[in-house]
Amino acid sequence: MHLKVYRYREGMAAPRYDTFELVSSPGMTVLEALFHVHEQLDDSLAFHYSCRGAVCGTCAMLINKVPRLACRTQVESLLKGDLKVAIAPYPAIGETVPWDPEKEVLLEPLPHLPVIKDLIVDMDVFFRFYRFIEPVFRPSDATPEKERRMDPAAVTKLEVYTNCILCAACSAACPVEGQNPEYIGPAALAKLYRFHIDPREAEGASRLHRADIPNGWWACELYGNCSRVCPKGVPPRTAIARAVAALHKEKNEAE
Amino acid sequence: MIRHHDVLIIGGGLTGLRAALRISDTGLNGAIVSKVHPLRSHSVAAQGGMNASLGNVKGEDGTTDSWKSHARDTVAGSDYLADQDAVERMCGEAPTAVIELEHMGMVWSRLDNGKIAQRPFGGAGFPRTCYAADRTGHNALHTLYERVSEREIPVYEDFFVTSLITNDGSCVGCTALELTTGHVHGFMANAVLMATGGFGRIFNRSTNALINTGDGQALALRAGALLKDMEFVQFHPTTLYRTNILITEGARGEGGILLNQNGERFMERYAPKSIDLAPRDVVARAIEREIADGRGFDGGYVHLDLRHLGADRIRERLPGIRQIAMDFAGVDPIQDPVPIQPGQHYSMGGIDVDINGASTLPGLYAAGECACVSVHGANRLGGNSLVETVVFGRLVAEKIIEDVANITPPDDAPAKAAVTSVNDRIDGILRREGRERVFMIRDMMTDTMSSKFGIFREKQKMQEGLGEIKKMQERVSHASPQNKERQLNQALVRFLELEGMLLLAEAVARGALAREESRGSHTRTDYPERDDLNFLKHTLVGLRDETMYVSYKPVTLGVFQPRERVY
Repeated sequence: MHLKVYRYREGMAAPRYDTFELVSSPGMTVLEALFHVHEQLDDSLAFHYSCRGAVCGTCAMLINKVPRLACRTQVESLLKGDLKVAIAPYPAIGETVPWDPEKEVLLEPLPHLPVIKDLIVDMDVFFRFYRFIEPVFRPSDATPEKERRMDPAAVTKLEVYTNCILCAACSAACPVEGQNPEYIGPAALAKLYRFHIDPREAEGASRLHRADIPNGWWACELYGNCSRVCPKGVPPRTAIARAVAALHKEKNEAE
Repeated sequence: MIRHHDVLIIGGGLTGLRAALRISDTGLNGAIVSKVHPLRSHSVAAQGGMNASLGNVKGEDGTTDSWKSHARDTVAGSDYLADQDAVERMCGEAPTAVIELEHMGMVWSRLDNGKIAQRPFGGAGFPRTCYAADRTGHNALHTLYERVSEREIPVYEDFFVTSLITNDGSCVGCTALELTTGHVHGFMANAVLMATGGFGRIFNRSTNALINTGDGQALALRAGALLKDMEFVQFHPTTLYRTNILITEGARGEGGILLNQNGERFMERYAPKSIDLAPRDVVARAIEREIADGRGFDGGYVHLDLRHLGADRIRERLPGIRQIAMDFAGVDPIQDPVPIQPGQHYSMGGIDVDINGASTLPGLYAAGECACVSVHGANRLGGNSLVETVVFGRLVAEKIIEDVANITPPDDAPAKAAVTSVNDRIDGILRREGRERVFMIRDMMTDTMSSKFGIFREKQKMQEGLGEIKKMQERVSHASPQNKERQLNQALVRFLELEGMLLLAEAVARGALAREESRGSHTRTDYPERDDLNFLKHTLVGLRDETMYVSYKPVTLGVFQPRERVY
């Protein structure tokens, strides 16, 4: 099989694609294939990695035109066509280079973020929006001596959102982000929603106001690509839809 | 350019972030230097939980847990090599550390009454392990990072620390290679806290993240600090077959059982009382023995069976484990047993520090897995590493705050000299024409470490292993990455990591050869008994004129007198 890999570094007029031939084996992940290239064929290839177990969120990239974690995606499953994800089309996943999905795996950096080198993107913008929503717990009462009590059912609801690993796959899959770089995006909005529904929080509904701006909740067009590509099953689209409904309700009640 | 901070924290995992917050409380100017974004630190992968005697769940006989019980279990688990004053301190502070995280907004799993849930873990007399499903490290790390972001504590991300700077026998900063640009920066500080985690990647089967290359221990050793108890390496009994991704002890805490090829619950033979929940050293040895004796499955694994827990409990308590088993082994634990084998998991040894986290090099402190206080001795109990990170992250920060008040920093001369020297060294490495592939030396190292310094050890094999490591050190000194660029050269970083790992491999080897007894994780087939008369002491390893030497220091005993461990 072949890996077709996006190559770019500062100073190049345009990116190019390099093709590496390798023998795939059962269970081989895209990350393992990249290490094979790095170690045996071309050690100038750049990609981020850490846990190799789909928990740290470092290695998200565009794999066969879908944002995924390289460590969790198996090469043979891709070649067999088992990993198709139906996402709404957007310009960043349009054709860039011809490739044969039965023989090749196409690897490109996450869209919507500046490329530093090869498959490494600059996550500063992503984390700027993270900080914008002020993701810090603000409790409703004075600090008690022991833990604040929580209903286990509330924890189950919260976990759906605390499971986010901030890998930016959702942002990369969002058609709106491609059009509007100032949209704060599905990851930050889902994080904001996590604090909103935390029963220990002081602000309750008012938390949602932080993103009650044109580039916040209201910019989402509910494509749902974010929820479909999330490697941890976090549903930003659901969070955004609920937040929008809550804000509508609040506005109607005020009138 | 030389940057100045009051305190430099190297590493952005749980220890580093907890320390950074405490330092920022006092208004001191602290900064974090890390080779990855803090959220990509290995702490994020911790699954099962954090031990603290909250007493939210009663023991089997209806009694309530206490920090003293926690200390007793920890000392026994350590095979009496832990320093009991340090253990008492950790166990005493543990409940506060857990509650503190809750107050910061961390989401913990809960009991029906709303209190933090606790589950049984190996070697513990009570259900003591507080958890967030099987994503405890993830929830804790994200919570601390949220606070660090809010306070705008500077984080130098993608900076690989290349050396510690010393002046008049004190550590006064570090140099670091900025990956993106390839520039070497100098950092001056009144104190440096090492919080870089473990060195699991010197072994070939490890649960550790790929970044766990022991950089901090190697930096400290080269700068003149001592390493302690490096031969004590924990092998986790249950890592996923082939990829060695961790399957939490919590899986057995929730009731999972181990079965060999014959469907036999073999742990009954090795630990009649605790069975599957005996401490990790005991269970790992048992599995290795079953496999060696032909009762494992082809390829070398046994089964972890969770099916009897039922789909609901697996989905609620072990969702991450289920996902990992499905993604990386194609097995759904609701329907099939999970293939598991022991794998390197944790480094009990590390930078020799006192109970306050001060190393033998003034100005250099260490906490978390890269340090050896020692609270884990010869074998760490599950759930004790997370609690160590947050307890000592804070306590060592307190000590630093106290100490830096009396320090007058030197001028920038030592930093400038250090930057020049590192630049020369990197240029020298890149100029070499070595044809040898660096990764081949790394593969030889990990093979040697796993085959000669694994669960069962013996003199002759270890001597061969040490000889091989010395040869690899020689080979690496002529090798070079093919990529000669300065900008974003990951091959260079991996080369620098390997140099350090080979030093640590030698430290493990020398400690293991010299310790002629079996204690905790260190099992000598040629010396199968624990020998308190000669070896109830800490191993120290240092470098003198680039030569490694071994010495010893006493263990701090206390109320728990060494006795036989029965599980």
